[in-house]
Amino acid sequence: MPDKVRVPIGPQHPALKEPESFLLTLVGEQITEMSVRLGYNHRGIEKACEGRTYVQDVYLIERVCGICSHSHSTAFVQAVEEIAGLEVPKRGLYIRTLVAELERVHSHLLWLGVAGHEIGFDTLLMYTWRDREVVMDLLALLTGNRVNYGMNTIGGVRRDIAEGQKQGILNAVDALESRTKYYIEVASQEVTLINRLSGVGVVSHEDAIRLGAVGPTGRASNVARDARKDDPYAVYADLDFKVITSDHNDVYGRTLVRVGELMESYKMIRQLVRNMPEGPVAVKAPRKIPAGEAVSRYEAPRGEDVHYVRANGTDKPERVKIRAPTLANVQCVAHMLKDRYLADLPIVIAAIDPCFSCTDRLIAVHGAGREPQTMDWEAVRRYGIEWYRARGTDFTDLNKKLRVKIA
Amino acid sequence: MTEEAAIEKQVVTQFPFLLAKFRVARPRRIFAEVARDRFPEVFDYLVKKMNFTILCTITGLDLGDELGAIYHLARESGVTFNLRTAVPKTQPVLPSVTPYFPPADCYERELVDLLGFKVEGLAPGSRYPLPDDWPAGQYPLRKDWNPEMLDKKEAPHA
Amino acid sequence: MQLVKKIVTWARIKSPWIIHFNTGACNACDIEIVAALTPQFDLERFGIVLKGTPRHADVLVCSGPVTRQIKERLIRVYEQIPEPKFVVAVGTCSCSGGVFKGCYNVEGGIDNVIPVSVYVPGCPASPTAIIDGVVKLLTSLEAGEAKAQAGTPTEQLAPGEDCE
Repeated sequence: MPDKVRVPIGPQHPALKEPESFLLTLVGEQITEMSVRLGYNHRGIEKACEGRTYVQDVYLIERVCGICSHSHSTAFVQAVEEIAGLEVPKRGLYIRTLVAELERVHSHLLWLGVAGHEIGFDTLLMYTWRDREVVMDLLALLTGNRVNYGMNTIGGVRRDIAEGQKQGILNAVDALESRTKYYIEVASQEVTLINRLSGVGVVSHEDAIRLGAVGPTGRASNVARDARKDDPYAVYADLDFKVITSDHNDVYGRTLVRVGELMESYKMIRQLVRNMPEGPVAVKAPRKIPAGEAVSRYEAPRGEDVHYVRANGTDKPERVKIRAPTLANVQCVAHMLKDRYLADLPIVIAAIDPCFSCTDRLIAVHGAGREPQTMDWEAVRRYGIEWYRARGTDFTDLNKKLRVKIA
Repeated sequence: MTEEAAIEKQVVTQFPFLLAKFRVARPRRIFAEVARDRFPEVFDYLVKKMNFTILCTITGLDLGDELGAIYHLARESGVTFNLRTAVPKTQPVLPSVTPYFPPADCYERELVDLLGFKVEGLAPGSRYPLPDDWPAGQYPLRKDWNPEMLDKKEAPHA
Repeated sequence: MQLVKKIVTWARIKSPWIIHFNTGACNACDIEIVAALTPQFDLERFGIVLKGTPRHADVLVCSGPVTRQIKERLIRVYEQIPEPKFVVAVGTCSCSGGVFKGCYNVEGGIDNVIPVSVYVPGCPASPTAIIDGVVKLLTSLEAGEAKAQAGTPTEQLAPGEDCE
């Protein structure tokens, strides 16, 4: 193995020098140093928000990330509602929270599949994404879209849910819960999986705090922070749920936390449906928002999402600041990969649950006195799977077993 | 006494000059403003003595003649302390808070790239979030900047 | 079922290999592209295979409004795909810039940078719409209607169109 490996973003022309996203230094197969370069997805959203009305911004901000779109739009409208002194009707908050938890479910199932894919456990991808379609269909039924639900407006939500839809939600949750119980069984009993994920991407409790890890990444190192409990918003203060933590401090812990959170989400969804109060779902918001400022914190599937909004009395915000959770967690990646192997790179990065496009990467291989070569993410993923297979980790049997068990 | 009231009492006793702009907007939301020269000691006190051990993010603002920076601090209990300071555009220098919060470097690089702050003590590293070929002297989040300036490659803020 | 039969026949003749490239998208379209490969939608039954490298691909499936940082790379990827090649713009952002049109750092639509064969609008484009877009491209090739890219976009999907 050459002694220096550069990990740039996107496909690279061999002769063209381009900015790298991850720069690794290897000694043999071991990573001794790593630095992270970001920004390729920078679209200038915060600036655009200042030139558009608050209502237009709800739709723009929803598209910061297509996996946690409701997280971003809710964080934004909450801040605006606070500045304007609007009190969202209880039913509107219930619906907002319901969509929030459904989003968490789709996101965590997506993650389970992606994690499986990264380590060679592809059957898990196929089954979890098939289960995920149950949630996608439900979200489409309730909101009109599979993604980017457009459910929020300033002052509440845009659509009510019908009595007849409630049973459908409960049925879906029952089905998903039994499937998730099976994934928990697999996660906690299958030795191949446990061995593959344990001791990988380790962050101690103290380091997780020092590095500012949020969401499941932090909670897997026993950092028991969850905005739904610490800084309740929407209806969370009224719901009965646990904050799931693990003291494994590794990728295995992050897996346990996410499947545990799925079970808590199902509990919450049932409470929301059964206890949903009657009444309107929104209050009318003024077009011009009075001068003021607010900070909104939301527990997105990947961790704490923070929005700051400053209003100046016009129909356009003075300033919108967004800190998405991945930005907090990506700081940990260098630490997680120090003294580990290149073979660990795909699953360690996947385990912080970054934006999907973060994984469209190419790796350029440089060595003393030789032409630079390029490996793509797919090649590193295969390298990782082969590397671990050579050391006794093989998912062929588990792939077969899962296919037999879930007809 | 509520937690917010206790915080206010302690902080204002320690730093009486904070009283005028101290505001408890609602439970778990405290806002305060401090002049640049007293910012380091207030920040240190909040983090070291008052347990605001979480830095959520740093928001940069264009305030006209000045640039503002709000440090969004938080405690385990969920209370946030949003401390704002400001610097003149003619000398927009802030101290880095990475000694307290190592991951703050990307928030500080945003201040540099998007608003034109200079952050002292920030370790060398790649810029964030703008691309390498971004024209120097153009700070997109400043109020007097618009995307048309990109094509002209002007440096209005040089 | 006519359409499915036609496609299966076609797929026996040619199995198109696809490379997926994200030019700065929010990921919604990217997830829907991957979802198109999973059992509920199953793009692979049409012989469509997702490849990791442009050199083995026939079709470039693009999402995103093209950020400044990614523009050069998009052009390189396009150039690396051997002729005949086709480009599918997935999602409203890659068709026109979508909500990001006018943002600094965003070019606003794939066809500002490379020629596009098929536009699949939607925010995000659903897996059924994506499959329909790719299938429309393939069936128009079979019918000899499409031109391989030398700068000529061929067909535009109407919004709301769906496959059987």
